[in-house]
Order: sequence, then structure tokens, then C-alpha cells
Amino acid sequence: MNGRRLTPYLFMAPAAFILGVALLYPIAYMIYASFLDWNPSQRIGQAEFVGLRNYTWLLGDASFRESLGVTLKFAFFVVSLEMLIGVGLALLLDRSIRGMTALRTIFILPMMIAPIVVGLIWRYMYHPTVGIFNKTLNAIGVESVPWLSDSFWALTSIIIADVWQWTPFIFILSLAALQSLPRSALEAARIDGATGWQQIWHIKLPLMMPVLIVTCLLRLIDAFKVLEVVLVMTNGGPGLSTEILSLRISRTASEFRELGVAAAMSNYLLLMLMLLTVLMFVYSRVSEARAARIRQAAEES
Amino acid sequence: MNFMKTMAGAAAGLALAGSALANPYEEYAGQTLVVNFPAHPHYDAVMKVLPQFTEETGIKVEVDQLQYLKMREKQTLELTKNRGDYDLIAYVVFSKADYVYASQLENLARFFMNPKLANPAYDPDDLIEGYVANIGVAGGDKGYMDGPTGSLYGIPFGSETSILGYRQDIFDKHGLKVPETYDEMLEIACQIPELEPGMGGLSSRAASGHHASHAFLLHLAPLGGRIFDDEWNVRVNDEAGVAAAEALKTIVDCGPEGAQTFGFAEAGAAFLQGDTAMFLDSTVFAGSINDPAKSKVVGKVGWAPHPMGVRRGSQTGGFGIGIPANAENKDAAFLLMQWLTSKEADKQIALAGGNPSRYSTHADAEVNEKFPHMATFGEALKYADPDWRPIIPVWGKINADLGTTLSKVLTEDLDIQEALDGVAERTAAVMDEAGYNTWK
Repeated sequence: MNGRRLTPYLFMAPAAFILGVALLYPIAYMIYASFLDWNPSQRIGQAEFVGLRNYTWLLGDASFRESLGVTLKFAFFVVSLEMLIGVGLALLLDRSIRGMTALRTIFILPMMIAPIVVGLIWRYMYHPTVGIFNKTLNAIGVESVPWLSDSFWALTSIIIADVWQWTPFIFILSLAALQSLPRSALEAARIDGATGWQQIWHIKLPLMMPVLIVTCLLRLIDAFKVLEVVLVMTNGGPGLSTEILSLRISRTASEFRELGVAAAMSNYLLLMLMLLTVLMFVYSRVSEARAARIRQAAEES
Repeated sequence: MNFMKTMAGAAAGLALAGSALANPYEEYAGQTLVVNFPAHPHYDAVMKVLPQFTEETGIKVEVDQLQYLKMREKQTLELTKNRGDYDLIAYVVFSKADYVYASQLENLARFFMNPKLANPAYDPDDLIEGYVANIGVAGGDKGYMDGPTGSLYGIPFGSETSILGYRQDIFDKHGLKVPETYDEMLEIACQIPELEPGMGGLSSRAASGHHASHAFLLHLAPLGGRIFDDEWNVRVNDEAGVAAAEALKTIVDCGPEGAQTFGFAEAGAAFLQGDTAMFLDSTVFAGSINDPAKSKVVGKVGWAPHPMGVRRGSQTGGFGIGIPANAENKDAAFLLMQWLTSKEADKQIALAGGNPSRYSTHADAEVNEKFPHMATFGEALKYADPDWRPIIPVWGKINADLGTTLSKVLTEDLDIQEALDGVAERTAAVMDEAGYNTWK
């Protein structure tokens, strides 16, 4: 019967409708806006259609390219450091210690603090005279560090703050992955006399890989979009040394009042993130296929 | 006896009712105005005085008070609607360029021409000219200034100029003379760290972006510079521009530690905490000096006009109020606007801690008794320069570039001439794209 075949679609309709309205419509709007020369004092209908001009103009804009460079540098360092420390901590703490639950809660606290507050806390800690870092350095006889007033240190400072806040995210996901690993494989390795390092390299990490890849991807996407902490700590300065892309987008929209250019910039960011996602997806497909091939080969022999 | 009292009361009531017949507010009593104000010390003072307006006129006022950047964002959306929610808005000087250009603010002429609305005792000559030219008028010289072709779109309300604050105790201790010129100010700024180890000379903002740009412009006008000449040619990289950037660099180098990243709040806090001997920025800051909760320098601060370079020229800025073109109750909104900026209300708001926009308030004995610095401020206002920065739609972009480039000068020792040449080149491109070369 026809009616029965339609029933599933009927049930899906509300979800599809919400998806269309809440997700696709704004994205379509943004894509449309990126082709306009649109000032916020105009309604969208009054804006002039300029085709790809915003996109080509951005490619030649030195500030945009600098901002893109800062974003890539920031994302690379932040995600590498966080993966390293987060996974390392998880491997260290994957055992039954007394008070582990409390410890774990404390570990993930930074993640739960609102980004604006994190920015403020770190800004005060980095304060040139009354901040805890320079005070401590001075107390042990080391000269003050220009945490936020030097382009190298400013980027380093926001990387440190971000690592502090988001390492727990990787830690907690890695720990969950570790604890759900098949005990049999680990036991077999132990019986075969594998050392701790060998267990980590040959058993734990490869088995955790799917989770780690997803975690890394999530963090990468987040790192590309970070805004509040940087906004509060440096507002992009000194110069443009910490002006990450999302800050540039927000300034283009509100300070320069160029909504079209801001939309085009967001689309570049979106394309970049989509490319990353697709790459990760392809990678996991390829590695799955390889694993399947190996398994098949093993079964055949 | 009681009867007599009642009669007298009734007679007085009748007399009042008689005068109430001539009450210009009567027609509007019971209406509710929705106004949009920023969270700002001046408007906090306004909130204390505002209930009187409702009491006197019967017009109710609902205030939507927002942080000023949020306010601008919200207004941008509100003003594009067919019918807006706001009857009266406070706007930053900068929005004048956008709102007037997009026909979003009412021209005030038709209200001032309406005998039922305009109060003959308003005395517009008493309003500070520099502020009116800067915030209220558009369409005159250069398009954004006053002049024969200009007309009025708003009235200054919560406006500010720049002023020099100095530590009287430190100056007395070392026998220093309060600087009247830029050379004197820069010299003293760099003497202070030697005389008082650990103390910076002058608090200035310098953080990348708007703050650095603002600090630079503060010195540019008195040192004889401008961003553009009268034909929109960029001249920020001329001798005066370089001198202004050098002044800024000297001030930051001789300032407190970490001054390179100070915003307005940090620069103010450094002065309030006693970390610097001088402060050169907006008058809005003066209100907190003698508040023991915020300040460690209560009673130790003296005020002087913004020092002179080759000319006098202090900043003009802050807020004005105007009526959106899509407002619902425009006439009543005008009445509120006129009331708020009248001599009486201006004085009361000043007494509550606001920034007056009238000469008479600056000279008022009662106001001066409570805030002794007000007379100095009134004097300084005679030199307020309404054209110290261009109020054009593309300024946001130029401002950001100027501010980030200057930040590189301050933190990375970028050569000043080279830096300003770069700004000039990029600014010229922005201006060309925006059509300022059409008539050349």
C-alpha cells in the first residue's frame, strides 16, 4: 500500500523540516550574502550583487592572509600539544588509584569554565606587573616576560591558555577509549612479555586510533573557531600577531561593516574545515579497508 | 481654619490647573517611550534624573541600557526595520556617518520649527559648539562636519573631550611645572620614572587596534596633523603624523610596565592605582578619581587642559541622542530629548556624575563646588576639535589598520615613517575604492 510506504517519511518530516530551517537556511543565507556588497545599514535586498569579488579580493588582502597564517599556526600547535599531553596523561592515569574519580573531575574542570572567564583569568595571570607569572619570575630573579605585549609571546600565551583549557577534553576521551579496550589483547601482550612501552605503541595506541582521530578532528575544528579567549586576552594584538580568523571575521562584520566580505571569509573557513573533515574521513576509510584486507589475508592463509 | 486651608489648597490647585492648560506635555501624557542608552557613567547619572521627567510630564520612559558595542549592533538591526522599537537612541559619534547616510535619523529641524514642541527657553547657543559640530551636525564641510550646508540630526549627550590629569603631590614633591606644551609633557613623562622609581610617566592606551589609533589621534591634532587634507588626500605620514607617532612611542616607552597592551580601562586603572604620574584621555574618567572604592589617589589629582603642540586641539567624542526615522512616538521623543538636554536637566545630570554638554553647566557654581575640575573642563572645551578624526563610513577599516600598524611600532620597533607610509598607501586604496577620488 502507498500509505504505508509514506509513513516513514511522515515521521521523518519534522526532523527534516527543522534541519532545513535551522541548519541549511542560515548556511544558504551566508553563501548568498558572500556574493553581496552588504553594509549592515542596508537591508539584504538593497545590497549590490558583486559575484565573486569578495572572494578574489580576500585572496589579495594581506591582513586576511596573515590572519589565516596565525590561525593555522595556532591550530597546529594547540592540537599537537593537546593530543600529546592529553593522551599521555590518559596513559599514565589508566589505572586504579585511590581518589581517581575526584582527580578526574578536577582534571576536566578547565573545560567547564566559560571561555570569557578563562580569557580574563589568564589575562590577569599574564599581567606585566601584578600577574602571578611575572611576579614568580621576578621572585626567583628572572626578568619579566612580555607575555601579551610581544608578538611571539602573545601567540605563545594564547596557545598555553588554550592547551590548559582543552587538554582535559582529549584526556577524558582518551581515557574512556583506553578503558574500553579489549582486555584480552592487553593480557595476551603481557603474557608474551611486552614491556609497558611496547604495549602502548603496539596495542593501546593502534586500538585507540579511531577515537583519537575523531577527537583530533573535533579539536581541530574548535581550534579554527576559537574566539572569546583571544578576544579577551589580546584582541588580536600586538599588531595582527594573534588575530585569528574568527576574530577577523567578527571585526570585518562589526568594525568594518562589510557583511559580504565577512560572509566570504566564513565560507573560506567552512571550506577549510570541510576539507579537513573529508580528509579525515578518507583516511579512516582507507585504514579500515587496509585492516579488512589484512584480516582477509590472515583468514585465507 | 481647616476650611480655609482647603479653600487655599483648592485655589492653588486651580492656579496649577490653569497653568496646566498651557502644559505642552499634556497631549503626550500616558505615552510610553522606549529609549536605547549605553552602559556608561553619564547614562548611569541620567537614570537617576530620568524619573523626574515622567513626574513632570506624565510621559513614561522605558530604558534599554546596553554595553556600547552591543548597543551599536542592536541599533544597526533596529534601524533597518520598517517600524523600530526605539523612539530615542543614544549613538556613538561614529554611527553618525552610517545612520545619517542611510537616512535612519530624523532631521531635527521640523521639531525645532514646531511651536508646540520647541521650548523657546532652550538656548541652543549654550550647547558646546565643538560637540554639536562633531556629534549632531552632518552635511556641512567634508560631508560629516558643520558648515553652511549642514543640518542637525542629534544633540550631544554624554560627550567627552580630552584632559590632562596629573598627580599634584608628585609634581609638588619634585617641583615640576604642570606641562602646557607637548615638549614639556614628553620631557616630564620621561623624567618621572627616574624621579620616582617604579612609577610610569603618563598613562596612555596603546593596545593593538582602536586603542592605539585613538591614542595617536589624540596627539595628531595638537601637533598639527590630520589624516586627510581638505581634498581627501592622505597626509597621515607627513611630518606632523610622524611627530604624533613619536610622541606616542615616547609616552609608552616612559609609561608603566606593560603599557603596550593597555586599553582605556587599563590606562585609567594604572593612574588610579598610583602607577603613573599623568593621564591624558577622556574626561569621562574624572568621575572615578575621587571614589575611594576605585582609586588610591583620592584628593591627589589636579587637572589641566590638553597640552598644546603647534595648536590647541582636544578630542571630541562620546555620545549624542537622536530620533530614529522609524520611531513610533517621534514628537514625544523630541520632548524627552529637549528636556534631557535643557539647562536644568544638564545641571542635574552633571551633579549626579554625568558629562555636561552646556557651557552654563561648566560655569555653574553649585556644580563646581561638587566637582572643582568642571571649570578647567569648560575652559578646555573651548579648544575641543570637532574634526580631530574623520567621521566617514570607511573609517572603521582605516582605524583598524592604523591601530594595528602603530601597535607594531610600539611592540616590534617598526620604523615610524615606514609604518605610516604603509598606512597611507593602504588608506589611499580604501578611499579610492569608496569613491573619494571620483571628483579628482
